[in-house]
Amino acid sequence: MAALIRYTLKRLLGAIPTLLIIITLAFFLLRAAPGGPFDMQRAMPPQVKANIEHMYHLDEPLWQQYLNYLDSIVHGNFGPSFVYRGTTVNDLIRQGFPVDLTIGGLALLGSLLFGVPIGIIAALKQNSAWDYGPMATAMLGISIPNFVVAPLLILVFAVQLHWLPAGGWGHGRLEYLILPSISLGLPMVAYMARLMRASMVEVLNSPFIRTARAKGLPERIVIWRHAMRPALMPLISFLGPAVVGIVTGSIVIEQIFGIPGIGRFFVNGAFNRDYTLVMGVTILYGMLIILFNLLADILYGVLDPRVRFE
Amino acid sequence: MKRIPLSRVGRQVTVVMLVIVTTILTACSASQHGSGPIHHYQVSNQPAAPAQQIFRRTIQSSPRTLDPSLSTGVPATNVLGDLFEGLTSIDPSAKVVPGVAKSWTISPDGKTYVFHLRHDARWSNGAPVTAKDFVYAWRREVDPKTAAQYAEALNPIVNAAAIISAKLSPDKLGVTALDPYTLQVNLVAPTPYFLSVLSNTYYFPLYAPTIRKWAVSWTQPPHLISNGAFYLKTWMINGHLTLLKNPYYWGAKKVRLQKVIVYPISDQSSTLARYLADDLDFANSPAFPPSDVDWLRHSLGSQLQIAPYYGNAFFGMLVHQPPFNNRDLRLALSMSLNRQVLSNKVGQGLTVPAYSLMPPLPGYTQQVPAWASWPFAKRLAEARRLYRQAGYSAKHPLRVRLLYPTGGPAQRHFMEAVTTMWKQNLGADVILWNEQWKVMLQDIQYKNAKLYWSAWIGDYPDPFTFMQQFQKGYAMNYGDFDYPAYQSLLARAQADPDNRTRYQLFEQAERVLNAQEPFIPMYFYTSDNLVKPYVAGWKANILDRHLAQYIYIRKHEEH
Repeated sequence: MAALIRYTLKRLLGAIPTLLIIITLAFFLLRAAPGGPFDMQRAMPPQVKANIEHMYHLDEPLWQQYLNYLDSIVHGNFGPSFVYRGTTVNDLIRQGFPVDLTIGGLALLGSLLFGVPIGIIAALKQNSAWDYGPMATAMLGISIPNFVVAPLLILVFAVQLHWLPAGGWGHGRLEYLILPSISLGLPMVAYMARLMRASMVEVLNSPFIRTARAKGLPERIVIWRHAMRPALMPLISFLGPAVVGIVTGSIVIEQIFGIPGIGRFFVNGAFNRDYTLVMGVTILYGMLIILFNLLADILYGVLDPRVRFE
Repeated sequence: MKRIPLSRVGRQVTVVMLVIVTTILTACSASQHGSGPIHHYQVSNQPAAPAQQIFRRTIQSSPRTLDPSLSTGVPATNVLGDLFEGLTSIDPSAKVVPGVAKSWTISPDGKTYVFHLRHDARWSNGAPVTAKDFVYAWRREVDPKTAAQYAEALNPIVNAAAIISAKLSPDKLGVTALDPYTLQVNLVAPTPYFLSVLSNTYYFPLYAPTIRKWAVSWTQPPHLISNGAFYLKTWMINGHLTLLKNPYYWGAKKVRLQKVIVYPISDQSSTLARYLADDLDFANSPAFPPSDVDWLRHSLGSQLQIAPYYGNAFFGMLVHQPPFNNRDLRLALSMSLNRQVLSNKVGQGLTVPAYSLMPPLPGYTQQVPAWASWPFAKRLAEARRLYRQAGYSAKHPLRVRLLYPTGGPAQRHFMEAVTTMWKQNLGADVILWNEQWKVMLQDIQYKNAKLYWSAWIGDYPDPFTFMQQFQKGYAMNYGDFDYPAYQSLLARAQADPDNRTRYQLFEQAERVLNAQEPFIPMYFYTSDNLVKPYVAGWKANILDRHLAQYIYIRKHEEH
């Protein structure tokens, strides 16, 4: 246990320079893009422009702005949004992140519930219809992008059948969550099923499984007690970054369903040159990636006795 | 397990086909059961019960702020118009009507306005709306400390420009509360359109106590105190805004809607889907992808409302630099475009061909150049003659880059059609070059672009909002047009308090523009709305502004 805590602390400390590099790169790359947050087609009188730049400290030297920014994020303050005037980046993330967390969480849960069993069944019934059927469908699921799936689902279930709303958030009521979660989760189901199948097939062919079977263990015990744990390893290394991707929102899903998450802030923030907003979302993303990779590594240790936290 | 006698590939293909067929069958069977996308309604003339007076509409994107002084852009205007009310307001046809001011007097020189405020105007917390609230709001708008992006909207008022430039203090603004219900405004020049700008967001009154108490977060509910027909209940950026009827509004008796839900939806396909799924009562322009207009016209009938809109799209040019310092070349390029094809075929009939600057405006006669009505062959011959006269030929063609903003496919198709016409009709090599909007703006402002796509939506119903863009010294005269005759006509029009003679001067000015062609007019915009048949009190209008206070829901049944 002590080794685990030491390991976690070490990894978290090691994350600081990584985050600093991310912040520095993002900060200067954003500033290098032509055009600023307050540029509009309607040219501003120079005095007005100067006033605004002064208000947001954009008239200070860049290094000064950078240091000020570092100072404020150390204090947990991502600064004011440049585009949504009167709103802080913290406010925007606080409002949008739970939305993505809900939809992403549902999509993830659903894809685990379907993807893993499908993969296992396909592996166990290798080269049968139980294998080819779901795997071909999975291939389809991976190759059809969600900007095709989502409108199709809307067309069928909202426009034609009127069973579900075509978009919106509706304060997070379940009927508003179903279609976006499915659109977001479908490719994940497919991916997980294929991943699970591949690793299960590999494990089932390994010598220790042959030994277990030779001992005369019932197939159920062979699968659940011996094959399952090692077969889950690739899934876990996939899940680390995938969870982050899914809970930080998908620009496509948010756009199509009109969902107020933070995924859109990435892209629209960049187009609008909302420096602080893009920085805030990037830092959040970076932190989550680091955190979930760490979690995945810890889970490795739990599942695989050969892994030691040193 | 019994094996299916199929090759591996064959089996996979079968499954794929099965999935596709199932999906299509589901969609088709659904429409056969009568619950297809197009709904028909039986609408009665009676208004629906108060509980059903809920109006769900779209705006193009989430407002960036709900502070009327800081707001820019159409989405914010659409929300703020329901939350606040200026001295004047607009009716369903977007005509100016009294707002907080019940009457006014204008001095003979047109420079002093005295407004008499209604005594029953109230803020959403019940406090009376007084002349001081206007003085406070307008001073705040021009105060450099506020850093309002569009503070210059108040430039018609005495000292506004000097205050914005920090040369005078905000209390020197030419606006005085003579008593709680009388407001005097002094203008720099007679500004006959002043009454109509007063209905714009920048001229709304503000409730000082809430701003002082909550500082920048005063626009968040429940801090936002407003004086319009509705007040703000909830606001989720990119999600929705909920507006509830303001019981203190002076005209509350006539307001039937109890609740307005505003959805910012930027994706046109999503807007259409949500309208068809009955999630919306009013999908505001652009309500659908242009490519869908034909079947919508056919199947939605009068729910589809296409009307002229107060904006134009054109190509701007740097008129003092080669090659566009040559008037013949500018005219040749303009005349050689077949705008009927561009608007009707490429633009799906959602734009109106433009041959000159001014979109339709009541009281103003659009000045169209003579060549616009020539047969196209004659026009083309003249264009070719001018092109040659400008010194270009097949051996020595015009080579230039046309800058346009990265956008949807409709925009790209339009640009491709234009350059193809120039290539075929004149032999000119115009190369398309697209950039992100912000990058493009910078290139235009720094004069890096010789030929570029541009568009303008008028700020107020007066020709000056368009004409000003070619006025010498105006910050948005990006092409640097300074032709003396045009400049003197504009100056005379600006000083003229009589709208009739003023409009005549503007018409003359537009004829000068037609002769000089410092830009290539392309098309006028239309507003493309979808409105359910049970929505009453809604009217298509040139500003595409629709105040919810006039709208109500009629009793209706789907069938």
